[in-house]
Amino acid sequence: MNLEGLDPGILGPAFVAGLLVLATHIPLGQEVIRRGIIFIDLAIAQFAGVGVILAATLGFETHGIEVQAIALTSALMGAALLGLTERLVGEYQEALIGVGFVLAATAGILLLAGNPQGGEHLRELLVGQILWVEWHQLLIPAVISVAVILNWYFLPRLLKGHFFYFLFALSITASVQLVGIYLVFASLIIPALATIRIEGSQRATILALVTGALAYALGLIFSAVMDLPSGASIVWMMAVCGVLVASLSRWLPFFAKEF
Amino acid sequence: MTRSIYCALLLLFSLEVGASLKVFTCESEWAALTKTIGGDLVNVFSATSANQDPHFIEARPSLIARVRRADLLVCSGAGLEVGWLPLLLRKSANPRVQPGASGHFTATSHVSLLEKPTTLDRSQGDVHAAGNPHVHLDPDRMLIIGRALRDRMVQLLPESAAQLDSNFNNFEEKLTSMLERQSVEISKLAGTNIVVHHNSWVYLTDWLQLNQVATIEPKPGIPPTSNFLASLVRQLSAISVKHIIRAGYQNPRASKWLAGRIETPVRVLPYSPENWETEGALILWYQQILETLVLKGERE
Repeated sequence: MNLEGLDPGILGPAFVAGLLVLATHIPLGQEVIRRGIIFIDLAIAQFAGVGVILAATLGFETHGIEVQAIALTSALMGAALLGLTERLVGEYQEALIGVGFVLAATAGILLLAGNPQGGEHLRELLVGQILWVEWHQLLIPAVISVAVILNWYFLPRLLKGHFFYFLFALSITASVQLVGIYLVFASLIIPALATIRIEGSQRATILALVTGALAYALGLIFSAVMDLPSGASIVWMMAVCGVLVASLSRWLPFFAKEF
Repeated sequence: MTRSIYCALLLLFSLEVGASLKVFTCESEWAALTKTIGGDLVNVFSATSANQDPHFIEARPSLIARVRRADLLVCSGAGLEVGWLPLLLRKSANPRVQPGASGHFTATSHVSLLEKPTTLDRSQGDVHAAGNPHVHLDPDRMLIIGRALRDRMVQLLPESAAQLDSNFNNFEEKLTSMLERQSVEISKLAGTNIVVHHNSWVYLTDWLQLNQVATIEPKPGIPPTSNFLASLVRQLSAISVKHIIRAGYQNPRASKWLAGRIETPVRVLPYSPENWETEGALILWYQQILETLVLKGERE
């Protein structure tokens, strides 16, 4: 037991970061599940990483905003490629996304053999740690979240088409660095999956948001009290909350029905 | 239930009573040193344990809370904690322990560092620009750092100067007499050929005059290529190597692989003192290292 970590000044920015990630990832997650391309986030994050390693290998001294620009560009290129596979191979898209993931990940290793410095960049890109988040770092993710949400609210048509890949690459590149790949995957899939039986897309989305927010809050508190790493704690809380909500909607019919 | 919570809270606060300096250390060797010098005057928390790689650390809320309340922070510096300490310090927003403040103590800034690169070549892996930061493996440097740490603690606790002074003198005397007792053994170790997992033992080889003939993983974090391993085996079968040395937190596979091929035993050395809270932990730890290298080396 450890109560001193329960400090809003410590847990607050992390919780808000979680809410920002959830705001974009839940509609994206619903779409990802609908399309059956679960592993696209891992692939896109790896593409972003390879771009940064490649830039370092080619001798660019990259810092801050340049790293971001390179990461985003390569994520977008990867997303465009994956979007193309949808048109070309259709039903086998998920398999090709998996292949894309291992190719990107191992390309990173091959490139790094000559340039170990890039390893740090890759780590920075893939293993963001939610507790290190500071308020000012939330500005750009907040802008991206608002843009994605507005887009999703006013032009939902775009989310269904190829523009989805663009939004997806943008959101993932920002969120992976903020909270790390495991939390991104959990935030994307678990709340959307837990509420999949719920009727009415708006109701499902709101319940998914509540599930996710509860998981971030409980996970952070759990990690503070038990003195455990925060990211992993939140992922497990997400699973617990997800199972809870999914069983409620399965066994209590009124819970899943629209009012 | 309520009563037990009150009791727990009371216990939590009573632990703080009597300790006037809250110290946050990055590695357990500095926790041991601070405890040795500070005794009852300090309340020490170590961010990593002996079996953890201090290069990396998972963020836990308690770490930030501890730095936030700390009066003194004791770390290796020279880039060892660069991956997490700056973030932690910034998050804590504690002015007492920020770089430059009197509550910020980095061990490596008080001793000369080995392997200071003359030209900073990025192709050599995670090289530390300031030099190799793993200074705690050399007892002479440990004493110099201990003296500087005592001075810093006196600065923060001027009214307890006499006690800090006598605690340090006591430690210095015990460590020196242990080293004198072992001096014959230590001199026998000079020139022993060793292979290391990666280049984190330079201060040990410097202290004991060991002869480091090869490194299994020359670029930390990057698995060696098959070419490199083949040439390593070829090179090492020509000479007699006494020990393959690996830290407890390093992956055993590479050293095991090599041990099987050149028929040399792997020695797992504690990279930092375990149980740093116990008295004499540092001296015991140096003794452990010596015993492993001397006794086991003789038996075979």
